[in-house]
Amino acid sequence: MPTREPKVLVNEVSVTFESRGRSVVALDRISLQAHAGEFLCIVGPSGSGKSTLLRVLAGLHRQSAGEVRIEADHPGTPLTAMVFQEHALLPWRTVRDNVTFGLENRGVARVEREARAREMLAMVGLTRFAQHYPHQLSGGMKQRVGIARALANDPEVLLMDEPLAALDAQTRTIMQEELLRIWATLGKTVVYVTHSLEEALLLGDRIVLLTARPGRVSQVYPVDLGRPRGLEVRASPAYGALLETIWSRLREEVVRAMAEDRGPESDGLGA
Amino acid sequence: MTRRGRWVAEHWMAIASPIALLALWEWASATGLLRAVFFPRPSTIAVHLRDLAADGTLWSHLATTLARIGWSFSLAAVLGVAIGLAMGLWRRLREGLDPVFAVIYPIPSVLFLPLVSFLVPPGEIALVVTTAVTSFFLIAFTTTHGVRQIDQRVVEAALHYGARGWRLFATVLLPGALPFIFTGLRLGLGFSLIVVVAVEIVAASRGLGALLWLSWQILKVEDMYATFFVIALLGALLSYGLGALRARLLPWVPDAGDR
Repeated sequence: MPTREPKVLVNEVSVTFESRGRSVVALDRISLQAHAGEFLCIVGPSGSGKSTLLRVLAGLHRQSAGEVRIEADHPGTPLTAMVFQEHALLPWRTVRDNVTFGLENRGVARVEREARAREMLAMVGLTRFAQHYPHQLSGGMKQRVGIARALANDPEVLLMDEPLAALDAQTRTIMQEELLRIWATLGKTVVYVTHSLEEALLLGDRIVLLTARPGRVSQVYPVDLGRPRGLEVRASPAYGALLETIWSRLREEVVRAMAEDRGPESDGLGA
Repeated sequence: MTRRGRWVAEHWMAIASPIALLALWEWASATGLLRAVFFPRPSTIAVHLRDLAADGTLWSHLATTLARIGWSFSLAAVLGVAIGLAMGLWRRLREGLDPVFAVIYPIPSVLFLPLVSFLVPPGEIALVVTTAVTSFFLIAFTTTHGVRQIDQRVVEAALHYGARGWRLFATVLLPGALPFIFTGLRLGLGFSLIVVVAVEIVAASRGLGALLWLSWQILKVEDMYATFFVIALLGALLSYGLGALRARLLPWVPDAGDR
């Protein structure tokens, strides 16, 4: 079980986008925390600002108000490393050189970089593909590279932005099990954005449910389904009950978001 | 079956159609359907080509043209890639140069010859600079576009993983633009050949264009066709050469070398 020590602290964070002279509130005073070693899932309807929140944590977007703190335990390694939705690998770099990219930018010596890449590629099962280019890999393999690239940096917190959303159902299931295995091995703190409640229930220690635009924290649900957790958890009554509880709440938000999108003021900001 | 054998089996039309065309031409000139004065038989042209090659005439003109292409293409490539990259990276520069380029680019390059002759010493240098103009614009355009079309998600990921300044340029922006730069270089090289021949026709006494024009003026029609053939072959070889180089240098492009 994760310790109670807070690792990620999000305090009253708001994000406002300026769009065609209008300001749109994407995130409205979000407060949450992730404990060290915790697998925290963020779920919400499209437009709830899930990805925006992750981008703020990653330092890719500056919040309009509020504060983000990430506790650094080992100085010298980056605070966050992100696994992107569409993998966002560099197409002109081999699998290995994609994995070492962050280390290279930080000036880590070649020998160490390559050792690290070997270790990470072995962990995601891509040792034989080190010299391949991304276009030669399947979608699932590309996302494995994305995960290896993030973990190679040994970040304090691993951020994942719907990493499996673009994969087919079978590949996604396999990748979910892989993720659980890797997380159990490394004990990283993970903040995981998904629109799939089933995925969040399978992976997460807690689930943060966001409301439709503007994104606010609706509720935080602990997932007391035990560990290690596998696909068989779906058969348990506790799983069904929790799914039902969260879904009824999420459903309201989805319906509200859809109604809003049909309205004249919709503009598809955020995701 | 060997690889080449398989290629022939797959694409036999590509070989059969030029042969059929030549055979048709041969037959039409031989029977008088085409006037042999203007359309000599391909076999006669081949003999003249051999003679031009044997007495060294062809090689010396070819060498002159190749040297001009070499200089003007290098000039166009260096300036075109440099300015194209700068335009891709800096919006202000792009906005400033775009209208200027849009006006100059469609002007047929040969028309720059007199203008260029005022600016640089007439003769060889003016010829090379004139030839470079159109290629320069093509290369600059494609390079600019190459930088602009880079997937912003990839750039963002690179920023997230700490690439800044020179490293961002060298590991992301330049390689991201390279496929387009290569297309520009290929087009530019093709245009160098087109323009150099045109310029040689109007303003040179040496080079393949000059040889072609001279042959026409003194009605050595067979020599004209022979030169014609050499120019066409040269164009095909240059394009194929850069295409092969592209496949080798850009192994990460899914369809490298297919075009």
